[in-house]
Formats: sequence, C-alpha cells, structure tokens
Amino acid sequence: MTTTIDEQQVPAGPAVEPAPDPRARARAESAALADLLRPVRGTIRVAQVLAAIGSAAALVPFVALAGLAAAFLEPGPPDDGAVLGAVWLIVGGLGARGVITGLALALTHFADVRLQALLRRRMVAHLGRVPLGWFSERSSGTVRKAAQDDVHDLHQVVAHHPVEWVGAWVLPIAGIGYLAWLDWRLALLALVTLPWYAAAYAWMMRGYTEKVEQMNAGNERISSAVVEFVSGIAVVKTFGQARRAHRGYAEAARDFGRFYSEWVRPMLRIEVIATMAISAPVVLLVACAGTAWFVGAGWITPVEAMTGILVSLVVPTTITALGFGASNRRTAAAAALRLHELLATPVLPEPGEPREPAGHRIELAGVRFSYSGGDGAEVLRGIDLDCPEGTVTALVGPSGAGKTTVATLVARFHDVTGGALRIGGVDVREIDPAVLYRHVGFVLQDVQLLHGTIAGNVRLGRPDATDDELHDACRAARIHDRILALPRGYDSVVGEDALLSGGEAQRVSIARALLADTPVLVLDEATAFADPESEAEIQDALSGLAAGRTVLVVAHRLSTITGADRIAVVDDGRIVESGTHDELLAAGGRYAAMWAAHRSGEDDAR
Amino acid sequence: MISDLLLILGPQHRRRMFGYLAWVTGFGVLQGLATVLLVPFLEALLVGDIAAAWTWTGVLLLAVVLACVAYHVQAMRGFGVALVVLTTMHERLGDHVSSLPLGWFSAERVGRLSRLVTGGTMMVAGLFAHLLTPLVVAVATPATIALAMLLFDWRLAVAAAVCAPLLWLAFRFAARWVGRGDELDDAAAVAAGNRVVEFARAQRVLRAFGRGAGGYAPLEDAIEDQRRAGRRSIWLATAGIVAGGFAVQVAFSVLILTGAFLALGGTLDPVRMIALVALAARFTGPLAEVGDYAGVVRIARNDLRRLVAVLSEEPLPEPAASAARPEPGAVELDRVSFGYQPGTPVLREVSLRIPPRSTVALVGASGSGKTTVTRLIARFADVDAGTVRVGGADVRDQTTEDLMAQLALVFQDVYLFDGTLEDNVRLGRPDATPGELAEAARLAGVTEIVRRLPDGWATRVGEGGTSLSGGERQRVSIARALLKDADIVLLDEATAALDPENERFFTGSMRALARRSTVLVIAHRLPTVVGADRIVVLDDGRIVEQGTHTELVALGGRYAAFQESRRRARGWRLVPARTPTPAATATVEESP
Repeated sequence: MTTTIDEQQVPAGPAVEPAPDPRARARAESAALADLLRPVRGTIRVAQVLAAIGSAAALVPFVALAGLAAAFLEPGPPDDGAVLGAVWLIVGGLGARGVITGLALALTHFADVRLQALLRRRMVAHLGRVPLGWFSERSSGTVRKAAQDDVHDLHQVVAHHPVEWVGAWVLPIAGIGYLAWLDWRLALLALVTLPWYAAAYAWMMRGYTEKVEQMNAGNERISSAVVEFVSGIAVVKTFGQARRAHRGYAEAARDFGRFYSEWVRPMLRIEVIATMAISAPVVLLVACAGTAWFVGAGWITPVEAMTGILVSLVVPTTITALGFGASNRRTAAAAALRLHELLATPVLPEPGEPREPAGHRIELAGVRFSYSGGDGAEVLRGIDLDCPEGTVTALVGPSGAGKTTVATLVARFHDVTGGALRIGGVDVREIDPAVLYRHVGFVLQDVQLLHGTIAGNVRLGRPDATDDELHDACRAARIHDRILALPRGYDSVVGEDALLSGGEAQRVSIARALLADTPVLVLDEATAFADPESEAEIQDALSGLAAGRTVLVVAHRLSTITGADRIAVVDDGRIVESGTHDELLAAGGRYAAMWAAHRSGEDDAR
Repeated sequence: MISDLLLILGPQHRRRMFGYLAWVTGFGVLQGLATVLLVPFLEALLVGDIAAAWTWTGVLLLAVVLACVAYHVQAMRGFGVALVVLTTMHERLGDHVSSLPLGWFSAERVGRLSRLVTGGTMMVAGLFAHLLTPLVVAVATPATIALAMLLFDWRLAVAAAVCAPLLWLAFRFAARWVGRGDELDDAAAVAAGNRVVEFARAQRVLRAFGRGAGGYAPLEDAIEDQRRAGRRSIWLATAGIVAGGFAVQVAFSVLILTGAFLALGGTLDPVRMIALVALAARFTGPLAEVGDYAGVVRIARNDLRRLVAVLSEEPLPEPAASAARPEPGAVELDRVSFGYQPGTPVLREVSLRIPPRSTVALVGASGSGKTTVTRLIARFADVDAGTVRVGGADVRDQTTEDLMAQLALVFQDVYLFDGTLEDNVRLGRPDATPGELAEAARLAGVTEIVRRLPDGWATRVGEGGTSLSGGERQRVSIARALLKDADIVLLDEATAALDPENERFFTGSMRALARRSTVLVIAHRLPTVVGADRIVVLDDGRIVEQGTHTELVALGGRYAAFQESRRRARGWRLVPARTPTPAATATVEESP
C-alpha cells in the first residue's frame, strides 16, 4: 500500500524537472514527434517514394526541350517525328509530375486525418484516467487547445513536409546531377547563390526554438484572455467595467503584437536577402551572365546553356519549401512534445490485480488529503468513518470544512495522501475503475447536464438501459411528465429545445443516478440549487434514490438528516463529533449548537 | 478578401494596404519583365551572338536590381500592414464584443469566437508574407509575360489569350471546392472542440458515471465526425487541385504545340520558338502556384469572413448621453411584452412599479418569467412592446455605463474571474477603500472565505484557480453588490435552503441592502418573501397576484397554495428516523 502512495506523490519526477538546455529539449521534441507519427509512418514512406519519382519527372521537360532545340538547330529541315516526340515528352513530363506528386500529397493528407483522430482518441482516453486535480489546475481552454490546435499543428509535418522535403532534395540533386553530366561548370553555376541563402537562413534561425515557445505562450495568453473576456463579459458589463476587462485581452494582444514585431522585423530584412538570393530574377541574372561567359569561352554549346539556365531556375524553387518545412517541423515538434507530455501525465494508478468489493460498507481509516499532493495544506487531517452497508451517514459542518472532499474521495476523483478508503473491505485503489463506478453513484452539488438528448443524459451511467428502464427512472425522479412535455420528449437536446430550470435539471441528474442503480451513493448538497417550486418533487425523488443503499450525504439543512443512522460533524479536516441526532443533541456540543441555530432560522421564517 | 481586410482595418489604414499592394504588383511586373528578357538573350545566344547576349544581360541586371528593391519594400510594408491588422483586429473585436447585447453570448458563440480569435491571430500574421504576396506575384508575373508575348509572336499570344478564361474558371472551381472543404473542417472542429471543453468541464459527472475511463460516446462521435469531415475535405481539395493542374497543363500544351507547328510550318523562327517555349516553361510554374494559393486564400478568407461577421453584429442602440433620471432608485415596467424568440412570449403586458428603497419579492414557478423581468431591467435585451424605466427614464435612453451604474446584479450563475479573490470583490467598485472592502466582506461572509483560503485575499479563484462552493460564490457576488452601493439591487436567490452559516450572512446582507437600495429579489427563501414590502406572483408571463404576505395568504390564491407546499417540503427528511425518538418525532409534528 505504501508503495502505491509513494508513487502517487512523486509521479512526474522526470517531467517536472526544470527545463533542460534547448538542445536536449529539441531532441526530446524530435523523439516525441517520431513517436507520435509512428502509426502513419508506412503511408508516409510510400508517399515519399512517389514524391521522389514525381520530382525527377519535373526535369523531363527541360531535357526534352534541349532535344527540341537540337532538332531545330541542326542544319537541314527539322525531323517532324523528333520534334513532336520532344513536344510530347515536355507535356507528358509536366503532367506526370503533377499527377504523381498530387497522389503522394493525397496519401499523406488521408494519413494526417487518420492520425489526428487517433491522437484525439488517445488523448481523451488518457485524460479520462488522470487524477481529477489535473483538470482543476487547467482551464478547459487549455484542454481544447491540446486536442484541437496542438494536434492540428502536426498537419504540416504529416501531410506536407514528407512529400515536399523529398521533392526539395530530389529535384535539385537530380537537376544538378544532370547539369554536371552536361558540364561541371553549369552545375557550379546553378549552385552559386545557394551559400548566401544558407548563411542568411542559418543566421535567422538562431534561437528560433525559444522564440516559437514564447510565441506559443503569447498565443495561449491571448487564447485564455479571450475565453475569460468573452465568458465574463456579462458580469463585467453589469459593473460598467467592460472596458476594464477588455483591457486584459487588449493587453495580451498588444504584448503579442509587440513581441512578434520585435522578433520578426530584424529577421525580415535577412529573410528578404536570403529569399532574393534564390529568387527567379537573381538566379536568372547569374545564369545568363555565366552561360554567356561559358559559351563565349567555348566550354558549352548554346543549347546546353539554355538547359543550364532553365534547370538553374528550377533548382532553388523547392528550397524555399525546405525552409518552410523546417519551421513547420519546429512548430510541430513543439506541439508533439506538449502532446507527448500530456499523454505521459501519470494516471491514477490502476491495480495490478483488481479486487471486487465484498459488500458495500464504506470505511475511511486515518484519511489525510491535500490537493497539492502531500506537501500543501491538508484539507483532511485524519478522518475515521465507518458507514455500514445499507445505512445513511450524514456529513455536516461549516463550508470549507472538508465535507465535499470526503465525498469526492469515495468516487476516487482523487487518491488519498494518507490512510485508506475502503469499499466492501477493498481499498478503492485496488478496484478496477470500471468496476468502481458500478458500485458508487454520485449526485453532485452543481448539476451538469451535457449537451445532448435528455435520454442520453439519463443513460450516462448505463448506455444500454432500455426505454422502459429509462422511463421508470425518470418517473421515480418525478421528471418523466416534464420531459414528455418537451418539444421532442426524451430526444430533446439540452440547451436547445430542452430548457430546464435548476430544479428540473436536478431531477434529471437524480434520474441518472437512479438508472445507474449503484449500491453506494454519494449525495453532495443535493438540494442546494433546487428551486422551491419543485422542491417537493426533488425530495420525493431523493428519498426514493436513497432507499436501500449505503448513502453518504453532505447535508446543509439539518432537519433533513435527523433520521440518518449516523451524523458526523466535520470541522477543519477532522471529525469532531459523531452519533445519531439524539446522541449528538444530548452531548450538547457543536451539533447541538448548529441545531439550535437551524431551528431559530426556521422560526424566523414563520 | 481585400475588402474584408479593409473592413477589419477601418478607413484610416486604407492607404497602407493599397501602398503595399502597389509595391507587390510592381515586383510581380518587374519579375515578369526580367523573365521576358530571357527571350532576346536566348535568341542572341542560340545564334552565337555573344556580344548581344552580354548587352541583354546588362538590361537584365537593371531589371533585377529594380525587382530586388521592390521586393524589399513590399516585404517591409506587408509586415507593417500585418501588424496593424493584428492589433486593430483585437482592439476592434474587443470593443465590439463588449457592446453586444448580453443575449448574444451563448456557449457555442463563445467557443467559436475564441477559436476564431486565436486561430485568426496566426492567420493574419502570416497572411501577407506567405499568402498575399505570392498570390499577387503569381498573377502579375504571368500576366506580364503573356502581354510581352505579343511583342514576339501574336499567334502565340492569341493562344495564351484563349487559355486565360479556362484557367480562370478552373481556379475558381478549385478555390470553391477547397473553401467548401475548409468550411466542413471548421464546423467539425468547432463541434469537437466544444465537446472537448464539455469533457473537461463535466469531468466530475463523467467520472461519477464511469465515462472517464469508460469513454464518452458523444465526444468520440464528434472526433469521428471530424475525421469524416477531414476526409471529405481532402476529396474536395483534391478535385479542385486536379482541375487547376489540368487547366495549366492544357494551357501549356496548347502553347507549345502551337509553337511547334508554326515552327515546323516555317512561319516562326525556330530559334524564337525555342526561346518562347523556354519562356512558357517558366510561366506555368507561377500559374500552377495560383491554383495552390487560391485554395489557401479561400481558407483565410473564410476566417476573415467570420471575423467580419462578428464585427457586423448589431449592438443595442444607445444614446450619446443619457436622458435625465428624475426618480433615482425607482423601477417601472409599463405594459412590457417580451419573448426571446418571435411567437413565444415570455412576458405579456407586465406592469410593475417599484418605488425607491422598497423591497419587492418576485415569486412564481420556474418559467413564469421572473428572471426575464430582472434581465430586461438590466437591458440584457430590448422589450418587444412597452417601456422599462430605471430611475424614471427609459433604459433605451440611457448609456450602458449610466444604466449599470444604478444597478447591482446578484444572479445565480456567479462568474468569477481568473484573478484574486480581492479583484473579484473589488469589481463592484475598484476604488473602494480597504475599510469599505472589509465591511462588505464582513457583511456578506467573505471574511470567512478569506480566512480559509491559503493565500487569503490574494488567492486566485475562478477557472484555473481554487474553486469556491456555490454558496461561497454567491457570497462573493453579494459582497460585490454591497461594495457597489447602487441605487437598485436585482437579486436572484440561488437557493431556498442555506446552511446556518450562509443563512446568517445572507440575512444580514439582505438587511443592509434593503436599508440603502431598492431591492427586486427573485425570492426562494421564506424569510425573504415574508419580509418583502410587496410580493408579486408571476404565472406564465403575467402578474397574477400582488400584495403583502398577510394580504396574499388571506386571498387564498396561488400564493397561499405555494406557501402550503413550502410548509410540507420543510418537514421532509431524506430518511425516516430508524429508531424514532420523541425529539425527532416532535420535529415532524411541529412542521405543519
């Protein structure tokens, strides 16, 4: 048992180390990328072979054009057959390049779509098993960014980069090879401007990884500022401070703009020089001057000169793609590392040999808990509580005392940092999570209905429940008639045509718990948000739900739980009193005082 | 697309945009001219006239230098415009969104907007350098070359002219298909993104019902839908690109075949023909790129369109200056009718006058229109008929700032910023003194929360921070309202049942608020209802009863029936006492 706990406390040892040097980080990123791309590697290889063939085909028209020129320039009338053959070669070569490269790109694009879906599924499956604290430490926007934007960032390196990269190498190499075969000086001529480009580019790329990192951080800031701004605007407007809230957003955007400007502007000049060095006009100029010289010196024929010029012009076109590819690859690698880290987030440890709970007694033995995993302020400081099977135990106490935390531990939203919590004699950490939820049901304080049909919401815990079972649960939760009155009945969609009041939503959530039909039930301030008009119905529904189960209820109104088998008064992370209503009243302690306050409140109301 | 950009930029930045476009076009033309010089150069070279070849190289040098200058200028200007667009876009979007009526903000809109803004940022940043410049060049250069061809041989120029409409059509189709695919992609991504947000937010519920580790079908379906949309989008894009590529291929073939036949027929100088074919080979490259870029441009344009669509949402009309408010603290609804959707009225001819400093309790079944009344007073939306007056003046004749300055809202869904607890309370009045802050906190019971939190007032709360319970959030919200000290308080009680601690603070706060302000409360708690100066009972969008507690109970109508059911509810217990004791039994009997 202790080993489990230790693992819990130092789960992310290597992952939380201070950021290593950029080089190691780049290596980690590459490794992460390679790992994530594994499922589509085969497809990518095939596409790359096609891309190589397609790129080589791009040279065919130029070779054929030389043939055409030779046919015309030879003394005597041109040979019609040779001319037409050359013409068709030119046309065909061009077409072949388009078709083959297009095919390669289509293959990688399909692979990309497949990979994205695969990664999203993996991510969701993984996040479903990490400790719940992971979610409370992050905004939902961050999760969305990982599932959508980070995954999307891989698009370039899957769908474009492999094909373009091969083309970017094969075409120049084949072209220069061909020129060298004609005359080595022509090959050199085609390469003359490249060093300029390479030098400028290398200079530009210094510190690129960190900058991209900063840019991502800036973008993330805008992203969360936007979410914050848009979802908070309603409240902010009512305080006449729309402008102020807007400022956070505007500042994030302005900072990003400033950073972007400072980073890119100096780089832009160099980029312009680099791009010009391999741009068509400059290459053309160099090639013309060079070939004029070579022909004048008698080293090459004029036809070779023409081929030399045309091929020289083609060589650099793909190199820009190489440049873009590199920057895309960096973006993707950074995203890949984030995804990889996310997928490596430690999950709640799963039992090696899961055990089935024997019965449904809930036992807390010396339970300690802190949200930050052991070193932070303890929320629970040694809770001992025994809830025998089929009994109702109520937790009462001031807010912030730790009642709700106890309740969440039973459903293993978190793992205890000390002590143990057992259901049916088995530590919850030794129960298969899929088994645990069939034993423990939960009615939460903040009712959350999901965007989907009412039927889907109620069936959440038991997707295979029949319509009859569904309707029975809703009848028992006193919500069946209300659902039938909705435009599409059980198929009405929450938030669209199923606009439910707080109390109605509450009853749907009770129906959900009824249908799940778990022997252990945790009720967390379940009536807190009920609207009074439907209070009686909710109460009936809850009574029905509680009957015959092992119930742990976080209670607000003391009068509702006077009949509980046991009432435990929680204060400051400890149980300060426990017993039946009568015992506690007789003891004249905390509970008795609370009861007196409660009664006087009721009297006020009369 | 340019017009969308101009819309985002606003009139004051038009010149910048056009200046940039002029320079890019200039570069494209110069690059075209440089390419055209290849023809006389090759002609000279192929016939062995080296001297002439050098002369043409000199001319080429001049064209290339000019092209380089133009390229540099356009790159710098393009970057400048990109930065302006970036900042302007965020500023205008922020301004505009803050002016939209509160009814506009739905969960789906919020999701779409944030995706748009984050995605849009990167899109705009790369738009000029990586999209507009290549695109304009890819059009200007071939156009220059095609025109120049006229100088060399009119028949080839005619052939080129014949191909132009074909190319244009093909590119249009290509762009449309790619754009349509992108729309599919985008819609699926938004849907899946919203599902992911839900997955993250509803994690507790999902786990409680085994949908954490067990898989959550709607999200998986959304991912699958996104995959399908992705595949369809690829088919569409492929079709588009094939069409574009095919068109370029045809155009090139027509040119070269025409040239070859003319040369074979002896009506075109073979040397010139070869030089022109070389030129044509240079000319299809950029053209094929138009096809590639047209699709990407379409995608960017879709993004821009969505931004422009948000910018063109109508805000509620507002006067430049507010009308005089002769009766501070008074609220009046004068024959107000309203519905969120046409044809389904939520309020029908509601008339209600609340004098300054009185307390009115709104009661009624859910869906009776209670919340709508408070929302209309705060002008979340405009009435369909009738008038809402606050401080004695129509809310439509007041600026948002002036209207809101009179109101303090305590609603059920308390939104806490991702900031410190203090920031959240101070939102009520940023310039409040520490004393005032402490007093409001004491009354509302926020002091107890401060004491409990690890960093006290400086604890971060809200999304991504320490979460507060529902009762605690409402206390924060009440503290805000107390601090604001507004003429009118609109309060939606979260719950009928408070634990003793919350009950104590709530009662205290209510008293303090009622002493200084007009209070309109959607009442759920009995003490609030009973203590109100007047109780208004709403049913199906109409006021059916009003009066004091005693009057209404005596009336024996809806209110009396409602009281009766409340009394029954209070006797409820989760579980009946297992071993009934005299004390426990007594409780039940006491509650009538």
